[in-house]
Amino acid sequence: MDGSTDAQIVARVLRGDAELYAELVKRYRDRYARYALHMLGNREDAEEALQDAFTRAYRSLARCEDPERFGAWLFRILVNRCRTVGARRGRRARTFVSDDLALHDAAEEHPAERSAWREEIERALSRLRPEQREAFLLKYVEELGYDEMSRLTGVGVSALKMRVMRACDRLRELLSDVRDDREVRVERRRPEVNDAKHS
Amino acid sequence: MRNIPERWIHRVASELRRPVRLDDEFDRGVMDAVRAMPRHRHRPWTRMLRARTITVSPMITGVAAALLLAVALSAGHFIGVLRANRATARVDVATDRSGGTKPGPRRSVQFVLVAPSARKVQVVGDFNDWDASHQEYVAQHRGGGVWAVTAAIPEGHHRYSFVVDDSLWVADPSAPRVLDDDYGMPNSAIVVGGGDAAQ
Repeated sequence: MDGSTDAQIVARVLRGDAELYAELVKRYRDRYARYALHMLGNREDAEEALQDAFTRAYRSLARCEDPERFGAWLFRILVNRCRTVGARRGRRARTFVSDDLALHDAAEEHPAERSAWREEIERALSRLRPEQREAFLLKYVEELGYDEMSRLTGVGVSALKMRVMRACDRLRELLSDVRDDREVRVERRRPEVNDAKHS
Repeated sequence: MRNIPERWIHRVASELRRPVRLDDEFDRGVMDAVRAMPRHRHRPWTRMLRARTITVSPMITGVAAALLLAVALSAGHFIGVLRANRATARVDVATDRSGGTKPGPRRSVQFVLVAPSARKVQVVGDFNDWDASHQEYVAQHRGGGVWAVTAAIPEGHHRYSFVVDDSLWVADPSAPRVLDDDYGMPNSAIVVGGGDAAQ
């Protein structure tokens, strides 16, 4: 079914071929796991929200108005599940992403350094208010436009812009020390690279 | 962005955009849940019955209403259908305190849907965890395309919908609608108990 469109798969699932739903799970699993993971901060909650989103989408598949955009519809369900799961565990101690779920690209710098940088980002992200974290992730990580974000969340564009701005302000504040350190390190490295080229 | 270099925010975002991967165990969990649910059995006519929102001008609305009324009268079923719809979600005065999963007093509520082509009609709602497998919420065909079921519903505010032929979700045409949290689709609202009971 690799060449089939989402709409074709949805149509066959609706005709009774439930096993084919696995193809849709495979298509969107990793992409949406990223959002759930950053939004909720730990693997257990992220998998719970994502699994819940997939099963709710299956149950309501006949209500998917535009099967060609199944992915967008599923993402809308996931955003709401993350809100629900996040609110429910609000009183629990927050954790942040464990490294086993993230793929590390060690091409640029030492893996330990990269891991520490990522950990600081995740820690800062977990300290944002949920609505600010949601807006930041949708805008900068999922790279959605404000109109699409508005349709997805039911929040007005101006309010979303405000949330994104405040999220950025807060992240800058929380990561200021780390950011300064990294920028110094990057600046120190550049001459070495240039020297190597000219030698 | 106020006081925030875009370059720095994009470096944070690019770190968060790194891929996340879930294993096949996750897929198995989703598919096990899917297999436990009723299979879809989609039929072409179900799309015609799907609840949807359309925008029309007041003049067209008036003309359409007049045409609809004329057609209904000429068909000779208008009175019967009207009575059936009025009977939708009727709440009996007598209370029923037995059965069910939620604690607290319950009342008998009759749900009615006119669906001449349906082979099966069930009621799902927050009172049965939106689970269509509960036998006590399966409607009986009363003739003339009228389906009805009486169930003991806990007092309070509830959201519900009809499920036709295990696949098509239909909001109650004669009840107030609410926007579903997860899907942005309309469900129906009912208040059970006291003087606020829906008629």
